[in-house]
This record gives sequence, structure tokens and C-alpha cells, in this order.
Amino acid sequence: MSAPEGAVALITGGARGIGAAITERLKADGFTTVTLGRTSGDVQADVGDAESVQAAFEQVRERFGPVLVLINCAGERQDGLAIRLSADQWESVVSTNLNGAFHCTRRALDDMLKARWGRIVNISSVVAERANPGQANYGAAKAGMLSMTRTIAREMARKGITCNAVTPGVIETDMTTDVADKLVAGVPAGRIGRPEEVAHAVSFLCSEGAEYVNGATLAVDGALAA
Amino acid sequence: MAVDKTEVLEEIREQLEAIKVPGAREATPESTWTELDVDSLDLVELVKALEDRFDIKINDDDLKPIESVGDAIDLTARLVEAKEGAPA
Repeated sequence: MSAPEGAVALITGGARGIGAAITERLKADGFTTVTLGRTSGDVQADVGDAESVQAAFEQVRERFGPVLVLINCAGERQDGLAIRLSADQWESVVSTNLNGAFHCTRRALDDMLKARWGRIVNISSVVAERANPGQANYGAAKAGMLSMTRTIAREMARKGITCNAVTPGVIETDMTTDVADKLVAGVPAGRIGRPEEVAHAVSFLCSEGAEYVNGATLAVDGALAA
Repeated sequence: MAVDKTEVLEEIREQLEAIKVPGAREATPESTWTELDVDSLDLVELVKALEDRFDIKINDDDLKPIESVGDAIDLTARLVEAKEGAPA
């Protein structure tokens, strides 16, 4: 079954980087795109705060309609070797990356269940499956997203709702400018990826042809984790 | 005013039909979730529909002993009556 025409696609962290590329791509695919950011985007929320997310979803429903596509892309990094990582750095990163994806998914499922159609794509990371020293918090949160992805997929499989994950490798964004040069040497493809390449994978997972793809993790990493 | 149990039964049938439960139309108060092949997620959807329709709040603890359509009707009726009996 294809997406209802003009269905609302909510992209958290959709105002910049990979999120912005996904927003552009889904708009071109015919979705009504809505971006959610902490201070930017069409609606604002702190994704780590359940009440803030609930208020944002109410706003989105009122202004645009029910959310039938959710892209959990809001993320933050606070790197440091685990022995030096503060509790605040751990909690903040887990809150934004993992708790945020959960809070948004929970709200979106209400709309998706009513419509008997939904697409959730969690933007995880290559570090979920291939450890990167200095990113214990980020890696744990992104790995948690993969487990959540598979669980939601199984829970919702009978309801016309799919939940998949994409694990980008080193992608050219503001978040990676400080590490890109160091990491590119280890990328088998010999180059870093473009946000549009991640957006293409997300577009596929939201398409009619991906109806039977559920609980999957799609690597967009130039074979970095292979 | 007590809730009309036939109205609750009809709401349950409609909701079961909406969530594509086979035999939803023929469901009776004696029908169990096992017989109807209603799983835990179906039950969550049914509960949300009953909450919205009758303006009640069904707690997870209330749900544990609910095994049939009749149990759901009785619980809904009880919660509606409790709400209407409560001071405004």
C-alpha cells in the first residue's frame, strides 16, 4: 500500500545536515514535510523531554495533520574517552539520541495505528555496530536505537507500520567536520558520504516498494562496517 | 446515569472491525480475546477507543483481569459510573 497522498513526514533534526537532506528528498517524494528542532524547524521541542514532544505533536496535528512518517534524526555528540566522560555528557547524549527517538515514536504510533499505515526510520550510526573510542555515549544510544527499531517492527508488523534504521558512516555534515579527515582513511570506499546518499536510503524505506522491509538496518557507510 | 451496555458492545464490535479482527461483528459478551484472536496491541487500540468514546481512563492494572468482551463492557460501565458519581 502506498502512502496516503500528502501524508505528513516529521523529521526531527530536519533543519540541517543529514536531516535537511532527508527533508528535501521526502518533499520531492510528495510528502508534506515538517521539521522539528530544539530551536529551529517548523515546530520546536526538546526531544528528550516527553511532555515537550507531546506538545509538539499536538501542534503538528493541528497545523499539518497526523504524522504518518517519522524520521528520528535529532542527534548530538559529546565525545570523550569513557574514563573522562561525565554523567551529564552520558545522559545528555542518550537523552537526545535514544530517549528522543522513543518519545517521538510513541506519539507518532497513535496516528499511524489509526491510519493503518506508517513509516518510521531511525537514523542510527555506524558506531552502533563498530565501536569508536571516545563515543561510548553516542555508540550506546545509537545501538539502543537499533534494538528499539527491531522491537517496534515486530510489535507493529501486522498494522501496516514499518520501522527500519539507517546506519550512516562518515557523512559530510557540521557534526563530522572535526573527525572526517581522521576517519576517511579507514573507509573502504575511499571517501566520505554525502547527506543525499543517506536521504536516498530513507526515501526507499518510506516508499511503497519497501512495505515488506521491516526491522532492517541499512548501512550507508561505504563499507565501513562491512 | 448508567451507561447502556449495548452501546458499549456496539462500540467494541466497531473497533474490533476497524482493527480487522475476524468475526468482530458476531462478537458477544461471552467472546474471549483468545477466541477472537485479539492480541495485546489490538487490546491497546480497543482501550484507546473506549477511553475516547466514553471519556474514561483505563489503567493497565484494570486491564489485567479483562479476558472477554463482557469483561470490557463491565469495566467500561463501572468507570463511566465512577466518573459520573464523582464530584465535578
